[in-house]
Amino acid sequence: MTRKSSETSRCTDCNGTMPSCAPLAVPYVPFQQENAPIYKDCDALSQGTLFPCLNLPFHLAVNGTPVPMTPLAQLQALDFVLQELALYLDTHQDDEDAFALFQEYSAMMERSRAAYERQNGPLDLAAAAADSSWQWTHSPWPWDLKGED
Amino acid sequence: MPFDECKAVLTDIGVEELGHLEMVGTIVHQLTRNLTQEQIETAGFDAYFVDHTAGVYPTAASGDPWTAATIQVTGDTIADLTEDLAAEQKARLTYDNILRFCRDDPDVTDVIRFLREREVVHFQRFGEVLELAKEKMNHKNVYLCNPSFDRK
Repeated sequence: MTRKSSETSRCTDCNGTMPSCAPLAVPYVPFQQENAPIYKDCDALSQGTLFPCLNLPFHLAVNGTPVPMTPLAQLQALDFVLQELALYLDTHQDDEDAFALFQEYSAMMERSRAAYERQNGPLDLAAAAADSSWQWTHSPWPWDLKGED
Repeated sequence: MPFDECKAVLTDIGVEELGHLEMVGTIVHQLTRNLTQEQIETAGFDAYFVDHTAGVYPTAASGDPWTAATIQVTGDTIADLTEDLAAEQKARLTYDNILRFCRDDPDVTDVIRFLREREVVHFQRFGEVLELAKEKMNHKNVYLCNPSFDRK
């Protein structure tokens, strides 16, 4: 890929690539380098990003307390990693390693989702349609404390 | 937006931001659902309460209701992407300022820190997509035409 220049290979992951002769009078944000280290899925969810190089918290505070890993939170963590990788892939069309990671997480998500739905019931309309009856209007909704709101 | 990468980034970030609206609404709901009359008076929630009781209504912290006048669409590729970059910064600093006041409730601050970090990531992606757009425009003068409008 053209953006992998020799100068940036000496930079850490927290630095990105820039055009060598950058035209004037337009904004520039350097490209995130390929193969940057990543967090584990549960840490990504509590940090708000999959990529440590993009984690820039306010007042240098550590981002977030670890999310308690309930079965649903585990699914949310996998879903978050997929969403983060999809957004990364939008602007890194040639990064085959990242796409392989995306495929890996997608397969994990599919397995975890099937296991969760066997235990706890459907997560979306398509899964609900496979049941003999529907109960998606039943409380509690995600923002309810005890289904009394 | 004329380029595929721009469409992809705008769609993905747009969907994510609408989810953020639900998360912030949920925080407001959970903070206000069991207020006593005394808490409403002493916490400065009385003006909001008169108009909206404990319903979730989208207003700025200073009281102005959300309106489309607070956002912009110019129809110009570079101007719109620069606007998107600025919007991510404005969201980031709003979360910074919330974190200055709110330090003792992890149910709030963990979510606000998460949302704030998403704005940082979105800024990065908008910047990258602006770079990709420029690569497809006239290298010597990206302002030579507006690819969102000036089709061949």
